[in-house]
Amino acid sequence: MQHHTTEQELKDRLSLIESMIAEGRRNVESWGWTFVLWGVVYYLAIAWSAWNHSVWAWPVTILVAVIVTVVVASSKGGNHPGTTLGRAIGSIWIAAGTSMFLLFLALGLSGRLTDQHLFVAVMSAILGLANGASALILRWKVQFACAVVWWVAAVITCFDTDAQSKIVFLIAIFFCQIVFGVYGAIGDGQERKRRRGPIHA
Amino acid sequence: MGRNANGGAVQSMPDLPELNPVVHGRLRLALLSLLSAVEEAEFTWLRAKTEATDGNLGAQLLKLEEAGYVAVEKKFVLRKPQTLYRVTETGRQALTEYVQALKQLLGPAIDA
Repeated sequence: MQHHTTEQELKDRLSLIESMIAEGRRNVESWGWTFVLWGVVYYLAIAWSAWNHSVWAWPVTILVAVIVTVVVASSKGGNHPGTTLGRAIGSIWIAAGTSMFLLFLALGLSGRLTDQHLFVAVMSAILGLANGASALILRWKVQFACAVVWWVAAVITCFDTDAQSKIVFLIAIFFCQIVFGVYGAIGDGQERKRRRGPIHA
Repeated sequence: MGRNANGGAVQSMPDLPELNPVVHGRLRLALLSLLSAVEEAEFTWLRAKTEATDGNLGAQLLKLEEAGYVAVEKKFVLRKPQTLYRVTETGRQALTEYVQALKQLLGPAIDA
């Protein structure tokens, strides 16, 4: 066969294999919207808890956000195949989310969630962990920068005043959820536009 | 070194590998590569990724299935038919051998 196949054709085949494997491994689902959604959810929960200091502000908002995320993800997921990479990253976020939900719900109900600094520090550290682990798996520098922002926020909030702690938390949410989410969504949109033509037999 | 029909010297060629004709088809190669990167994939996802027509895609997948390179599973999800494809161990091996053969054929030209 190789007698009839030019060098260019062989290179084309090799490049086709590389691009198709990359296409299969690529995160087929845009997750930028989830970062934006959860950023808005954090803002809503902060506003609610600041308004009437309800212990239910965070659990209820988070629970509603989980339901919205699952419903939207299921409807968008469609026929997308699973990959080991996708499952690994999904597992990190599900585990981090479950840990935060259970921990803060228990602390809130037991009346021990009285230190705002501790709340912001633990939440920022867990978000830093999830972002950092995802970034290292995906080798994504922008997401790693988000992890660094969360870790810095976690450390700073241990030393600053109540007001400063709130500002640090709000800034971290803005950059690591809203800005990063929009950036992710735009990047995914551009990736979709950069489509090849049909592959013929 | 030998001699050709005109009596000229002929360079002895190293043994070049044959390319697997089942894998070599452009669409079949794309499908096998795509499937090697995921656990399993639906017909519709493969169609979206390759932008091939239903008929062509079905025919090429059938060839891969007949060669034992992909396994197919048909089921109903919420009363809708779903056809799932996954690469078999034989298919994965065939793709690996094909890539090795390609690299051997291209030799130094691979980086050019």
